[in-house]
Amino acid sequence: MPLLRFNRVSKSYAGVPALVGVSFDVARGEFVALVGQSGCGKSTLLNVAGAMDFPTSGEVVLDGVVTSSLGEAALTRLRREKVGFIFQSFQLLPSLSAVENVELPLLLARRPRARETALDCLREVEMDAYAARMPYQLSGGQMQRVAIARALVHAPALLLADEPTGNLDSTTGDLVLQLLRRIADRRQTTILMATHNVEAVSVTDTVVRLRDGRVQGISETVKGL
Amino acid sequence: MAYLTIFHRLILRPLWRESVRTVLTIAAVALGVAVVLAIELAGEAAAGSFRSSVETLAGSGDFEVTATGGVPAAALARLALLPYALKLRPRIEDYAVVAATNRVVPFVGVDMLGDAPAATAGNTGASEFLHGGFIWVGKDAGWKPGEHVRLIVNDESADYTVRGIVDGAGDAIVTDLAPAARLLHRGAMLDRILIDVPIVVPASRPLEQWESILRTALPDGVTLAPQGARTGENRRMLAAFRWNLRVLSYIALVVGAFLIYNTISVSVIRRREEIGIMRALGATRFGVLGAFLLEAGCLGLAGGLAGVALGRLMAIGSVRLVAATVESLYVSSTPAPIALTWGVVVAGIAIGVLVSMVSALAPAWEASQVMPVEAMARGRRDHHVRMHQGRGLAFGAALALAAWFASRQPPVGGKPLFGYLAALLMIGASTLAIPALISVLSRATATVAGRVFGVEALLASRSLAGSMRRTAVLVGALSTSIAMLSAVGIMVGSFRQTVLLWMEDRLQADLYLRPAGPAGADRHPTLAPDIAARLEALPEVAAVDQFRAYEISYQGMPATLGGGDARIAGRYGRRPFFSGARPADVFAQLIGHDRVIVSEAFANKHGVKRGDTLELPLGGRRVRFRVIDIYGDYSNERGYIVMDRGTLLQYLPDPAPSNVAVYLRAGASLEAGRRAVETALAGRRVMVFTNRSLREEAMRVFDRTFAITYALEAVAVFVAVMGVAGALLALVIDRRREFGLLRFLGGSTGQIRRIILFEAGLLGLLANIAGIVLGFWLSLLLIFVINRQSFGWTIQFHWPVAVLVSALSIVYAATVLAALYPSQVAARLVPIEVIHED
Repeated sequence: MPLLRFNRVSKSYAGVPALVGVSFDVARGEFVALVGQSGCGKSTLLNVAGAMDFPTSGEVVLDGVVTSSLGEAALTRLRREKVGFIFQSFQLLPSLSAVENVELPLLLARRPRARETALDCLREVEMDAYAARMPYQLSGGQMQRVAIARALVHAPALLLADEPTGNLDSTTGDLVLQLLRRIADRRQTTILMATHNVEAVSVTDTVVRLRDGRVQGISETVKGL
Repeated sequence: MAYLTIFHRLILRPLWRESVRTVLTIAAVALGVAVVLAIELAGEAAAGSFRSSVETLAGSGDFEVTATGGVPAAALARLALLPYALKLRPRIEDYAVVAATNRVVPFVGVDMLGDAPAATAGNTGASEFLHGGFIWVGKDAGWKPGEHVRLIVNDESADYTVRGIVDGAGDAIVTDLAPAARLLHRGAMLDRILIDVPIVVPASRPLEQWESILRTALPDGVTLAPQGARTGENRRMLAAFRWNLRVLSYIALVVGAFLIYNTISVSVIRRREEIGIMRALGATRFGVLGAFLLEAGCLGLAGGLAGVALGRLMAIGSVRLVAATVESLYVSSTPAPIALTWGVVVAGIAIGVLVSMVSALAPAWEASQVMPVEAMARGRRDHHVRMHQGRGLAFGAALALAAWFASRQPPVGGKPLFGYLAALLMIGASTLAIPALISVLSRATATVAGRVFGVEALLASRSLAGSMRRTAVLVGALSTSIAMLSAVGIMVGSFRQTVLLWMEDRLQADLYLRPAGPAGADRHPTLAPDIAARLEALPEVAAVDQFRAYEISYQGMPATLGGGDARIAGRYGRRPFFSGARPADVFAQLIGHDRVIVSEAFANKHGVKRGDTLELPLGGRRVRFRVIDIYGDYSNERGYIVMDRGTLLQYLPDPAPSNVAVYLRAGASLEAGRRAVETALAGRRVMVFTNRSLREEAMRVFDRTFAITYALEAVAVFVAVMGVAGALLALVIDRRREFGLLRFLGGSTGQIRRIILFEAGLLGLLANIAGIVLGFWLSLLLIFVINRQSFGWTIQFHWPVAVLVSALSIVYAATVLAALYPSQVAARLVPIEVIHED
């Protein structure tokens, strides 16, 4: 059974279609790139995948659960347990240190041993030396690595990344992409990444091309491209 | 026009978009303006009122003749014999109590035949004027001709028939001199003679010359003064009271100013990038400065306009409270109508606009300094603020030192100006120290709060420390109002405790008697002279102390002259005098000598010391009295001069006492004693208080007197709490992405709500801590500097724990409740909308 299934998903905002009949499956441990021009529906697809938004028609099935069938409390539980988010602009809380940012999802879910787990995750993204730093004391690449650690800290089955290299220079962006690849391999975490960076697709397993809210094509990535 | 368009788009439109927050800010300014205006209008109405009935009735004259204990009627005859066309208007003035309503109204005797005060309605003949049962009333009294009214005059009550209406007499009751003298036991004494001098050749006989001519016809002990001097005296006496009330009313405005500062600061921080873009597009520094000042001006204008309307409404309630204080402590008054003039309206609006613009100066200046390329992150800005905490603390310490220095200075023109300056400096010192307090406390509490209350408390505490500037301003505003609330609470509580202790020592008699009707600081109705003898004859009674009080003018200020039985006071007195001497020794020295003791308020007001000599005009003579000691007294602010009753009767031979203290024999029960006294005085309109009920009555008057200060404090706190609601709303709007992110990270809407409520709780806690510390120091300033310099009373410091705990708990609860709406707004945010706003 796939971890994530889009079944004829359509979404429109005030009558303007953002997604039209999107259907595809994402297997466990698969690293999928969503590509397409700005406004093609990438971010909307990530939002419905993470149960932050819901289709106007069709359904999204995450780990066997139809997201639109859940109530507010169950949705919060689903996000706490199964989904991690990475954003283009990092979205670290400025008042919290790196490690405090990372442990935040665990604290919100009232999980034990939050600090140890957060430090483990920072170690995994090679940021443990910066654990006590505040966000304004970090570079863009460092901030994104902390954000990745935060997205991983509760060991989600699905990691949703919205233009994770969009605010980074190409060298730093490459490092972040390599890190995501490693995570997918080591943890068998499913990653759905929206990007318009052509080079970014090289680290993924599958590329889904979107145009005007529709899936234009799905292809497997030829590694090394 | 172009500038107006830009102003509308960049300044007014955002205000409109955040309408709830804008309304809260305007409301804060409006309340601040309203309180100032209400107190001004109420103070004017209450202070202006004592001149209304009696003074208006007197009409305009040039001079007035008065004397302690009354002006001998012979003086009128001597004035009439002067070879000038003088217009003489004798007056007998007192107060009567309307039995049906217990209302006190002026009771005035005039020469109805020769000097009818104004047109009188009804067909009245000369014989009717001499009829003791007829009265004429002012329009405000509310009676019609032919109505029957029961009045209590001194300790006698009788029915009167209204024969006509007197124009311009307010609520006064008017009758002819002869029946008034009979009724008030004046004998051949008048209370005042008003004199109009002829205006034949004004230049040749200026008023000074007339004064010396008139003086020749008058005995030595009477006072000749330009008419209206009494009003002037009362106004001077009330000046300190009104001044302090005015200053208290400014607190809400100061808190409002904090909030304007906060609003504009938030605008600037939030629009820093926007300002940078505007500068890059050609906006000048001056233009940016002007735009933000104009924003503040608009808020101030709206607040000022609303404040004027609200102030007029609030004045209705305030005038009752102010009048009650004036009546208890100073002078009989009936509130005059509230007069909202154009001047007051303009002043109210100007206050709103000016305070807003001045409060916005610093953030507007900061906005004008934004470089065209600048779009710095808020985190960096707050870091900058943290970096300067040390400097803030140093400045704070310097201000505290300056406050200490200012508090040591003497009053200026009778006003504790340096005391107020010290209070302002203390508030400044506290405001500068607040960032350090927040930093230390949030660091100390974050981990603990996180462990005890969960991640919501941790996030709330970090967020407060992270938005240092906004937090500091908010805590500053809330803590200032809490500090003033605590300071006034401690001052009033200390005063109350001091008065309780004073009464414990001072009130040693078992029963106290005075004529029926509400008491007033300047009214001394008398009891029948035979009362003391009747009481002394009772087997339950051990001693009777008769005290007679007169209103006098000393050095242009009203004061009370009194005479009591020094033997009895010496026997029962417990409270030592300021010199440390025992009551028995001091009172023994009064007997048979021209010696007096004076109250502390009198001594401080007139700079009188032990051993000084006072010259008092008594019964047609000027008599010199030596001050042998000073005693503590808190019954009124006018001040007392007290001599032995024997001495007083020697100069003013009217034996009627103003009040009587009865000491029961050892073993006699209070109930039996009281019954015996009431039986002996059956038919007399006398109020009998037991020692306990008199104390309760005194404390009731005390609490009523200070109700206005609590009301003012409550408004200031309300403004601050409103500010917290507005600021938390701004905080939610500013941090909407953060809240959206928390939802992405698995936060529930309940957790978002709790974060805001925790922030409010922490704000309240920080403000309470800072407020209590500042409040303690301000209370010392109020008690030992401002109060002492304004009123001359020594107050012992006392912590009114129960009052403080309950007041601060209410403030704390209100602060948390103020966060309910912002927390609701935060919980309703749509995460995907706010997270992608970049």
